Amino acid sequence: MAGQPVELGVLDAPLAIESAFELPPNRFRLLARSLEIWLPVGFLLVMAGACFLWPVIHKIPSPVAADLAQPNLAPLTPHHLFGTDNVGYDVFSRILYGGRVSLEVGFGTAFLGLVGGGMIGTLAAYYGGAIEAVIMRILDVLLSFPSLVLAITIATYLGPSELHVIWAISFFAVPAFARLSRAGTLQLRESTFVLASKLVGTRDRRMILRHIAPHVVPPLMTFALLGVAIAISIEAALSFLGLGVPPPEPSWGNMIATGQQYLYSDPDLVIIPSAFLAATVAAVNLLGDALRARWGML
Amino acid sequence: MRLSEEPVRRRTFRSILDSPSFSVIGRRVLQAIPVLWGVTFLTFTLLNLLPGSAAESLLGIGATKTEIAALSKKLGLDQPFFVRYGEWLGHIVTGHFGASLASGQAVSTIIDQRLPVTLELIGFAFFLALFFAIPVAVLAARWPHGIVDRVTMVISMLGLSVPAFVVGLILILIFAVHAGWFPAVGFTSLSQNVGQNLRSMVLPSVTLGFTLFATYSRVLRADILDQLSSEDYVVTAKAKGISPGRVLVRHALRNSLFGLLTLVGLNLGALVGGTVLIEQIFALPGIGQELIQAISNRDIVVVQGIVVVLAVAVVFANLLTDLLYAVLDPRIRYGRPTS
Repeated sequence: MAGQPVELGVLDAPLAIESAFELPPNRFRLLARSLEIWLPVGFLLVMAGACFLWPVIHKIPSPVAADLAQPNLAPLTPHHLFGTDNVGYDVFSRILYGGRVSLEVGFGTAFLGLVGGGMIGTLAAYYGGAIEAVIMRILDVLLSFPSLVLAITIATYLGPSELHVIWAISFFAVPAFARLSRAGTLQLRESTFVLASKLVGTRDRRMILRHIAPHVVPPLMTFALLGVAIAISIEAALSFLGLGVPPPEPSWGNMIATGQQYLYSDPDLVIIPSAFLAATVAAVNLLGDALRARWGML
Repeated sequence: MRLSEEPVRRRTFRSILDSPSFSVIGRRVLQAIPVLWGVTFLTFTLLNLLPGSAAESLLGIGATKTEIAALSKKLGLDQPFFVRYGEWLGHIVTGHFGASLASGQAVSTIIDQRLPVTLELIGFAFFLALFFAIPVAVLAARWPHGIVDRVTMVISMLGLSVPAFVVGLILILIFAVHAGWFPAVGFTSLSQNVGQNLRSMVLPSVTLGFTLFATYSRVLRADILDQLSSEDYVVTAKAKGISPGRVLVRHALRNSLFGLLTLVGLNLGALVGGTVLIEQIFALPGIGQELIQAISNRDIVVVQGIVVVLAVAVVFANLLTDLLYAVLDPRIRYGRPTS
């Protein structure tokens, strides 16, 4: 059987492959492990604080008030940390307000996906039968759509706005979460504690909320981090195409799109928002990786 | 471990019909039918129920109500929803996608012209991604936490985190603006000039391929390590005294490639989305660029045609992946439970 330790001395040499796998814990390694989690968490908290709180407590130039006298300032100019863009918008301020959009869309869609998809998947698996079959086929249909194409279509027809982007992305976040929660619930449905609980007459509602959900939700949470990363990227892509947050309101995606026109003369207009976008998505991904490794799920 | 011998089968027609592999394949094909129907229905519903009518946008802002009504009637947009859906479904099943509302060109002609560019892009990107991902994943799995592993994980994390359109712009900045090795935008078709065509495809393919490489190398590495640490056949191979490198390449990799195959098939949907952006950045006249144009023109016939073709292609790719998987994996072929 898989997973059982093999205790034959002969096998020691080839098994070195495995022992290289889990190095023995020492102080350095433990520190590295906790840093794997706390560094990205710290970065995201700083980003969130800077985007949502800093403009409130400290006066910064408005992201949509163009200083027409001072366009195309280089980064690190006094009063304009990241310089100004082609019409004189302050890039630092636009980065902060654009970051709000990214974080709101990222966490908003992941939350909607988690709640909506989690409920659909759990109910489908718990009750089974024809309803489950129908729901699963509908999810198959949604999942077989090229996601960005679907988001582009929905976003265009709803019109460019942040809220519409959230709806468009949630539309295919829900099926992905539903699939996962269904798989989790299917396993639990057969487990002994669910059977035992059923025997003492627990009602469906209580069974799902108190017994099944606590087991299904944690793995969904780590998947939700992946969802956050994907949603932030898709929002940036939609805004880049001009289908997301409508200019002059800033979003990292539409800042990159504006900067693209000045790629030859002023590449930092592309580089700065790209760096923030990449760093944020990377932080979310790294956090997801670290949590999955620690909890050993998915 | 299973010791019972597989009974010798006589391959009569009857036995093929009764064989588990046939029922596995049959069930999978049957499952695809409602999905295919659902895809067409969803495409049509989404594009028809969402606000903003084609007639309005064709006529522009100054159009009067009577003009809009007249054009809607002419385009058949005044018919009830299900009548229009039925007609449209009947047409697409026979390969008639209709004509563009804006240009009058047949949608099938448009797709014929645009699809090869997109397929070329996807093909190159696949090739580049697999060409680098497989050896790199093997080396990373051979020495976990080694230098190759760490470098690969950092690079692939970058690939996962930096959106493709940003990668594309950075490549343009470095290789087109500064170095001047490749054209930043524009496209020469394969039939015009092969060399120019390849030159114009390098940056787009690398952009798309990099994103794929990131996913493939990570998944393949994890899968190989999983096989090495938990599968019986690896223990058997080791017990026979086969060298670790050989166990890795001949035994674990062979099995892990199945997992990669599934991923490649399932990822196709995301890939198609990615090409839309890349075609936009590099101004490639592919199907994604046409789609964006059609969407902004509210050219509903073209959008429907393209979306349905892409979605059906993804359904078929997934189906094909599953079937191929069933053919390659004897456990599924004989209907045995997989561990």
